[in-house]
Amino acid sequence: MAGKKVAICAVAQHKNEPDLWHKRFQGMLLDVLEDLQAQTGFDFNEDTGVNTIVSCSDDFFDARTISNNGVTDVLGGHYRAEEKMAQEGLNAVGYALAVILSGHSDLVLVMGHCKESQSESRNMISNLGFDPFYGRSVGLDYMNAAALQARAYMTKAGITDEHLARIVVRARQWAARNPYANAREILEEGRVMASPMVCDPIRQLHVYPVSDGAVGMLLASEERAKEFTDKPVWITGFANCMDSYFLGDRDLTGNVALKKAAERAYRKAGIKNPRKAIDVVEVMDAYAYQQPLWMEGLGFCEEGQGGRFIEEGGPGKYKVNLSGGMLAGNPVIISGLYRAAEAALQLRGEAGDRQAPDVKSAVAHSTTGAAGQFHSVLILEA
Amino acid sequence: MKKHKKNRNVAIIGIGQTSLSSHKEDQNQVEMVQEAVINALQDAHLTIDDIDCIVHGNMELFEMQFAPDLWHSLGTGAYGKDEYRITTGGTTGMTLVCAADNLVASGLYDTVLAIGLEKLQEGNTTGGITNMADPLWFRNLQTGALTGTTAAEMISEFGEERAKRAAMKYRIMMDKHAVLNPRAHRRFGLEYEQAEDLMANSPQLVGELRLIHMCSQSDGACAMIFTSEKKAGKGTGKPPVWIRDHIQGHREETIPNLFGAVKPEMTHHYCARKLYERNGITDPVAYFDVFEMYDPSAWWAMDWLREFFLLKGDEHIKMLERGDFDLDGKIPINPSGGVIASNPIGATAMLRPAEAALQIRGDAGPHQIKKEVRHALASGFGGTFWTALMILEKDLNW
Amino acid sequence: MTEYFGATVADIFNTMPERFKPEEAKDVDIVIGYEATGEGGGKWTATIKHGTLKVEKVEELKGCKTTIHADAEIFVGVTLGKITAIDALTSQKLRVVGDARLLMTLLPKIFVPFTVTPRKKAVSARAILATVESRFRPEKAEGVTMNIGYDLTGENGGQWTLMIKDGRCTVREGFAEDLAVKLIMDADVYAGMMLGTIDGASAFTSGQVRIEGDMMAAAATTKFFHKYVDPNAAEAEELICLRVTNSIDQRFASGPVMGRWFAGLKEKKFMANKCPECGRTQIPPREICAICRVRVHEFVELGPKGTVTNFDIVYFASPDPLTGAVRDTPYTPIYVVLDGASEQDAFAFELKKEDIDRIKVGAKVRPVWADKPTGSFRDVLYFELDR
Repeated sequence: MAGKKVAICAVAQHKNEPDLWHKRFQGMLLDVLEDLQAQTGFDFNEDTGVNTIVSCSDDFFDARTISNNGVTDVLGGHYRAEEKMAQEGLNAVGYALAVILSGHSDLVLVMGHCKESQSESRNMISNLGFDPFYGRSVGLDYMNAAALQARAYMTKAGITDEHLARIVVRARQWAARNPYANAREILEEGRVMASPMVCDPIRQLHVYPVSDGAVGMLLASEERAKEFTDKPVWITGFANCMDSYFLGDRDLTGNVALKKAAERAYRKAGIKNPRKAIDVVEVMDAYAYQQPLWMEGLGFCEEGQGGRFIEEGGPGKYKVNLSGGMLAGNPVIISGLYRAAEAALQLRGEAGDRQAPDVKSAVAHSTTGAAGQFHSVLILEA
Repeated sequence: MKKHKKNRNVAIIGIGQTSLSSHKEDQNQVEMVQEAVINALQDAHLTIDDIDCIVHGNMELFEMQFAPDLWHSLGTGAYGKDEYRITTGGTTGMTLVCAADNLVASGLYDTVLAIGLEKLQEGNTTGGITNMADPLWFRNLQTGALTGTTAAEMISEFGEERAKRAAMKYRIMMDKHAVLNPRAHRRFGLEYEQAEDLMANSPQLVGELRLIHMCSQSDGACAMIFTSEKKAGKGTGKPPVWIRDHIQGHREETIPNLFGAVKPEMTHHYCARKLYERNGITDPVAYFDVFEMYDPSAWWAMDWLREFFLLKGDEHIKMLERGDFDLDGKIPINPSGGVIASNPIGATAMLRPAEAALQIRGDAGPHQIKKEVRHALASGFGGTFWTALMILEKDLNW
Repeated sequence: MTEYFGATVADIFNTMPERFKPEEAKDVDIVIGYEATGEGGGKWTATIKHGTLKVEKVEELKGCKTTIHADAEIFVGVTLGKITAIDALTSQKLRVVGDARLLMTLLPKIFVPFTVTPRKKAVSARAILATVESRFRPEKAEGVTMNIGYDLTGENGGQWTLMIKDGRCTVREGFAEDLAVKLIMDADVYAGMMLGTIDGASAFTSGQVRIEGDMMAAAATTKFFHKYVDPNAAEAEELICLRVTNSIDQRFASGPVMGRWFAGLKEKKFMANKCPECGRTQIPPREICAICRVRVHEFVELGPKGTVTNFDIVYFASPDPLTGAVRDTPYTPIYVVLDGASEQDAFAFELKKEDIDRIKVGAKVRPVWADKPTGSFRDVLYFELDR
């Protein structure tokens, strides 16, 4: 995108926890808000401060109609504009980008929250994402839809149970260095391969743990970014893409939507060869098999070569998910925001023990829907 | 408030609605969405291939469909395209228009399709609304979306007779508009002579809020197409309608603070004065040619006319009594019949700018205002008394 | 009524509203009179004004710009196209006083042509009421004792009482004593509602159906009966309804701030918290002051008494979505600024039923606590007038 740019001035993550029973959403978000304000000094002044907020939450996960109405106070939304992305959180960043580029606002606060632990079962919720007449009755949910995709993909790309174990082990190694991660216990391959099957071929330890969390970011126009940070992270590209709805209509292993989203995002960022241009990658891997699958879609691995990719240490080479990724545990609605936050920290050199050297550009990815029906791709540069 | 320079101008070039009804059993959600989208594309003389991005919104707990935009993509045509889903309760429809405006103005997308919808009949509306309240406390009070406090305040301020007459006159006026609007949901054919009878006999819901005053519950969808200044007017069928500016104002979670010993400024008033100020509009009644206002009940409508036009005292009631709000009056209100006649919640707040745009275009239908409409105002309402407010223009005159 | 070519003259006029095309009649302003003579005839006027239509059967044709006259049979025949209009005009079998071109230009433009539909036997209200007992669902009316009166006016009208008691429903002509509710409407409106050709909610809102007595009781009755099915109905498409209640258990966290609120209730105290900047007292307390956007730490006890600033008397209660249960009405939520509270921060709670008639803005009220509060919404039973 030539000309105007938009920067992420600060990010703040609430630690992902399996059960944040002792805080409610408002408390979680206030912690995040105070962190952002401490970093940047921004306020909510009508003219010079934040007067536009893009929130992210879900009515089903919150069990609350107009889920953002409960958190207006803590988002600073009182007598301000607040729009809720009722969609995965990375799209809130993409939309906030548009808000600033449109000229409507030059400063936008992005805040997302979700507690997967609040409801009896996140699978019961995702079951309601299927059509009421057939999909639901058959008993589909995002987990078993993922299992269908996993089986197809593992066959196509030569991915074995050992490969999956290796992905999980690596995720935990990096999560151990990430103070915000949920599942940080170091594992070894044998244990992963022995963990019970929940939905063949997906084992318990292949599944991202139930997580509660919140993420906030402050975005600013190019002119104003320097008021809030001396380490702006520039958004150079964003795009998302929708695949078809019914599983039977889709090529579950071909990354139709992700390839399009990535292609559009890379084009906007002027990137022709992501393998060379991108320094770190944060993908939303809810299940272990998704890591190599999404890497194919993002162009870091040839189609159908996921097995080899793992075999040859691809994730290490391309610095994939140094945060531990979603496998370390994020709530599904805002995992993309965690991906973007981690990518931003890498670009600012603030990623602590998980910091990679010389990070100048990053891609953050998110996905929604059964077996990744919808994908979003964000390109960031220091 | 400083007004920022818009990156580029955005026009509404296509408007499509489905019929509205209390039970559209002949269509599923996807089919209903598709009907609105096809109507909008036909109106704009475009195909789905011309659309770069889709914005979707509804209140999913009403239909009990998680992430509904993923299923509805079969009707929105989002396959292979960028898509956003934004929801803000009752104001959703207008927020979608604001979002489409931001998306096109940003330069990231050239042509955006926005779709708001609701199929209330498929779920439990009361349950949905009750779930808006905090689960540990306010949900137990279960007062729903109905309140008679505004009626009580107006009766206290203007006297029972005058206040009740005003609310009823407004209600009947809305029905007369709805009768003219072929797309309106409820059209009763009320006459002003019935006012006394209705005032006395329409069943009371809460206080002086009677059944006749309340909005409907409808199934339906509305779709609109937006494009950049450069692309508007190129091979599109109808004259473009320009989005000049928009503002949204939310409010804290706690609603009882509106009924304390001191009444805070309403978000309607706040948004109106901010929007007018930054657009140099000093006399909104004189400036605008039509106002499509989100009116959930006749009582709120009367009260909010004072807020939106920044009036004082009983000026708004005098205006009603003088006929200023009639179709041929100084500032017609809701020629479409408004929300009282038609309320498919996710689409309702989009129908307001849609109908306002039709008025500017001159092809609204039998409810078209006869005088030329150049400047239109549209409002949305929802959440904990949130407001969305928008200015539409016939020409790029600012 | 006498039929010609499978239709009556009245059919033509009864179907005019649904055949009307308002968008074609935007600029029309006219009253047209019709006179059909002979058996099955009558006089009607159609008033068309700016896209609206009113059709009325009249005694005399008055104020009509144009009138159309014919024998009833000719009338129906021309309308159905069985008889060519121009022939009928030429032969003077069809006469037009006023603008004859209307027949050719305006009328075909603003009306969808009348066609004969397969004759449906009209179902009377009386016939429908005769099926009530057989459609009763005792399992839905357990423990219910109620007399529901139907006052049906017009042709085919009458008075009936549905008596529900001990798991049975008996229908009697006339009104029983102690009717819980009486529904008043035209018999044809009743039939239309039962057949589904008239929308019940609209009929009620527009005043076509009037209710004397307990409106909530009237609403409750629909679930006591299976839907009426017209035995003469043509093979209509069956609407299969899948009724599913989606229920996902939740564990809601209060967090420490709201937790302090509940802890306070357990001690019969209203614990609000106070913004360090503007001093407002937030009740129930919240983590942040929305206006100042700063964290709030200090707790203050408010009340227990307070002043009423507003109230709502609720007559209509929506049924609980899960149980279908309906609250006892009327009930009154009141808005109270408790003693010590900042003036805009009102507290909402329910007023004691017995005080509903005496409540006024400015009244002083006090809470009535449960004997053993547990730290929940039920700890406060209600507020009552402080006398």
